[in-house]
Amino acid sequence: MNEGERAALAGLLPFEAEPRLPDGRHRQLKEFVMSEIRTPVERPRKRLLRPALLAPALALGVAVAVGVPAFFGSGTPAYAVSKNADGTLTITINQAKDPKSLEATLRGMGVNAVVDYIPMGKRCSPQPRSTSFLSREEAQNPADGRPFLIWPPDTDEPGFRIDPAAIKPGQTGVLEFSVSEDEQTAGIWANISNGPVAPCALVDSDEAPLGPPPGWDD
Amino acid sequence: MDMSLRARMRDGDAGAFEALFEEMARPVFSHAFRLTGDWSAAEDVLSLTFLEAWRLRHRIDPDGGSLRPWVLGIATNVARNLRRAARRYADALARMPRGHPIPDFTDDIIGRIDAAEQLAAIRQAYGSLRRQEQEVFALCVWSGLDHAEAAQALGVAVGTVRSRLSRARKKLEKLAAERQQDPGWRQVKGDHRFVREENR
Repeated sequence: MNEGERAALAGLLPFEAEPRLPDGRHRQLKEFVMSEIRTPVERPRKRLLRPALLAPALALGVAVAVGVPAFFGSGTPAYAVSKNADGTLTITINQAKDPKSLEATLRGMGVNAVVDYIPMGKRCSPQPRSTSFLSREEAQNPADGRPFLIWPPDTDEPGFRIDPAAIKPGQTGVLEFSVSEDEQTAGIWANISNGPVAPCALVDSDEAPLGPPPGWDD
Repeated sequence: MDMSLRARMRDGDAGAFEALFEEMARPVFSHAFRLTGDWSAAEDVLSLTFLEAWRLRHRIDPDGGSLRPWVLGIATNVARNLRRAARRYADALARMPRGHPIPDFTDDIIGRIDAAEQLAAIRQAYGSLRRQEQEVFALCVWSGLDHAEAAQALGVAVGTVRSRLSRARKKLEKLAAERQQDPGWRQVKGDHRFVREENR
């Protein structure tokens, strides 16, 4: 194809303004893609699990811990839920052992969510657990469009960050965490359901551990 | 793009992948925006294209030429099947930082508003083409691939690219002629809506 031919065709649809990402957004998306390709699907997240990391964040006034942490033997909280100044919550899981305690803590904070921990080689049955999951565009805070699951968390504090305001009255947040053999969380899947959410019965699986399988809503 | 970068990419070298992103992110975004007509969808296509490129890197022939047709071919497929691609990478997309219309990009936003009216008219004409014609047009005319590269990108014969492009050209020329004759109300073909063309 010669340039004359191309120019003639281009003249039929004179798309003069080249759509171009702002540099900052380009950088952001590059960092996202590079982080994803460097991340194995089951990423051990040990760096998130040192309680010592929590203390400096609190000292800086970034977050105020309001969740009731559950303690396991050693005195280290199994998990903590912190409320950030912007209304988002940061969930830190040190020992992924009792999802229903975390669920109860969230409910105590007014967050209607179900929480499940999925060990390696398992998945929830049934999947999908709801016939009325929201699309990604819908699962967000109606005021500012912030997504239900904020990733990366963009806070000094390690953990998983969610915006509870994305869950509207009558809806249920669903949080599934994949868990490694040493009870550390490796990944999260989060969505919001309009209707009821089936309880998670763990079954053996060699598929992706979290969320509905690909193609479930075809 | 040199051969070694191709081979390194195939071998899963993250540095080579980063170089590919730097080289191709801009053309991929432009291509995606023109195919989807939607800024946010184009950002999704951009990210998903590179996640797909990484997943499919073993398919790269280490001795080929530029990876541009290959990457733009992936972008075309992703844009065509965005919902399917989004499901495959649902977990990753949930982690993707969302764009915010914050005033850091004021100049850019003003530029986009200026371009919006022009864009609407072009999209009307572009939307009158069949999807396969749109893809060939975008690859050959806007992304600058030659017939053979577009054929490689789409996985079709070179003759197919030529005939799709030729059909697209005839339709657009006919549309341009019609527009000159009737600058008022008109029906956009294949779109069953009546669209008001403003007289300027």
